[in-house]
Amino acid sequence: MSRSETLSLRNIGKTYQIDGQDLCVLDEISLDIAGGSFIGIVGPSGCGKSTLLRLIVGLDSQYDGVISLGGETVVGTSLDRGIVFQDHRLLPWMTLEQNVGLALLNSTLGQSERKERVADLINLVGLRGFETVFPHQLSGGMAQRAAIARGLVTKPRVLLLDEPLGALDALTRVRLQDELLHIWEIERITMILVTHDVEEAVYLGDRVIVMHPAPGRIADDFSIDLPYPRDRASQEFTNIRQRVLIAMGAYDGSRRRAA
Amino acid sequence: MSIVDADIAFVAPPKPTGRRVSRKAGDHSWRYIALGLIFPASVLLFWQIAAQQRWVSDVFLPLPSKTAWAFVTMVEKQDFSHDFLASIRIVGQAFFYGSVVGVLFGVAAGFSRTVERVFGPTLDGLRHIPGIAWLPLIVLWIGIGAPAKILVIAKSVFFPVFLNTLQGIRSIDRNYIELGNVLKLTRGQQIRKIVIPGAMPSILVGVRYGASLAWALVVVAEGLSGQEGLGFLIFRAQSLLLTDQLLVCMVVIGVVGFAIDRSVGILQRHLLRWKHGFQG
Repeated sequence: MSRSETLSLRNIGKTYQIDGQDLCVLDEISLDIAGGSFIGIVGPSGCGKSTLLRLIVGLDSQYDGVISLGGETVVGTSLDRGIVFQDHRLLPWMTLEQNVGLALLNSTLGQSERKERVADLINLVGLRGFETVFPHQLSGGMAQRAAIARGLVTKPRVLLLDEPLGALDALTRVRLQDELLHIWEIERITMILVTHDVEEAVYLGDRVIVMHPAPGRIADDFSIDLPYPRDRASQEFTNIRQRVLIAMGAYDGSRRRAA
Repeated sequence: MSIVDADIAFVAPPKPTGRRVSRKAGDHSWRYIALGLIFPASVLLFWQIAAQQRWVSDVFLPLPSKTAWAFVTMVEKQDFSHDFLASIRIVGQAFFYGSVVGVLFGVAAGFSRTVERVFGPTLDGLRHIPGIAWLPLIVLWIGIGAPAKILVIAKSVFFPVFLNTLQGIRSIDRNYIELGNVLKLTRGQQIRKIVIPGAMPSILVGVRYGASLAWALVVVAEGLSGQEGLGFLIFRAQSLLLTDQLLVCMVVIGVVGFAIDRSVGILQRHLLRWKHGFQG
């Protein structure tokens, strides 16, 4: 692993003010994420997992605690930390190529190197031949691939994935999960995937963090040492998935209803 | 491991120009043109009959053929192109200044609530004084020449462009701005790459309306003051009872207005080709 830089969260707290009342969405989150690892963060809606990503990417600086990457405190956004949103967020007036290249607008690379890098990434996500296509001409899965290419084109140290596959159909979703693994194996960067799909987190992550809501906090931390590619039907896989689901509290409700 | 899969394989890459595939009946466009011609042809025919049968006096409605001849006479003997170009020049300049200033103010006000608060109420008030109502005062100040008309028409172009630009900027998806922050775009880059293109559909609505308005206003402005231009000709023809020349002016005004609107429409379709299903 070439970039063994730890992303470290220290006592992260976040409070929103709603109608004069404090609403604590993140409470004392502390986490060390080893460079080059693939972390899945799961939890029910409202557990603050997306908020956590926003803080890490630097879109929101109003929080308590310290976030640091490789020992340096994170301030504001940076091309070191890429993000892929749930909505692909491609600019509709730009072609695929221009959308991916937008991230390189302020890079130190020369014109030809930029072009090369954009072409490489479009190739990596399997969209060669679609360079001059506008987003509305792409399918949901293709648009999300393009967004992943844009997230990676600056060679970030960390790529944050905010439920990037959440809006896709089941088949496309499974395919893109394999692509993400493939990309991760090639690029060897830290990936943090927020999802509400436990199977997805267990399939992809070498570590899965479970969060609980009200206030958002870390409830459990699983290290998944199954070899890649993983077999979703295997006994070990289903066991771990089961444990993660229990940690999320998925079975509490049903038991209570049954009683 | 190949990562190209069925998700893509089912979709062939579209033509690289990204151009809209022709409209549903693009091959039969002559048919649409023909359909559009039926009504004006009937009017023309009725006009011819009405004039020939002397249902109305020649003074009120000359023969279409006589009107056509009047056009030839005006072009050959009365330097029609001079007046025509005078009107075009005024509209061209007024449209240019009005829309440029409109976009600039729109962007400024769109970005800064302070700018909007300082200028907003004043502009909103001035908006309700029609351009033509300004003309007498402006003529008093700077005379009956072209600049007065340019100023007045530019003012009328300014408002729709300004308001639509402002509206367009205000309605840009906040998520795109957020994306710009993530990608570390400078303020200038945000404006060029995100704000202006995002507001473009709205800006062009204002521009298209402004262009039509400018052409309509030049006729009025020239009729009210000055010694040249289509507006001047049309009012002079009326006072001299040269109804055929009057009709020539009307037709030319209509044709030019139509051409202006269609041109902006083509520009609009080209600039907004990224918009799904946009037909102009």
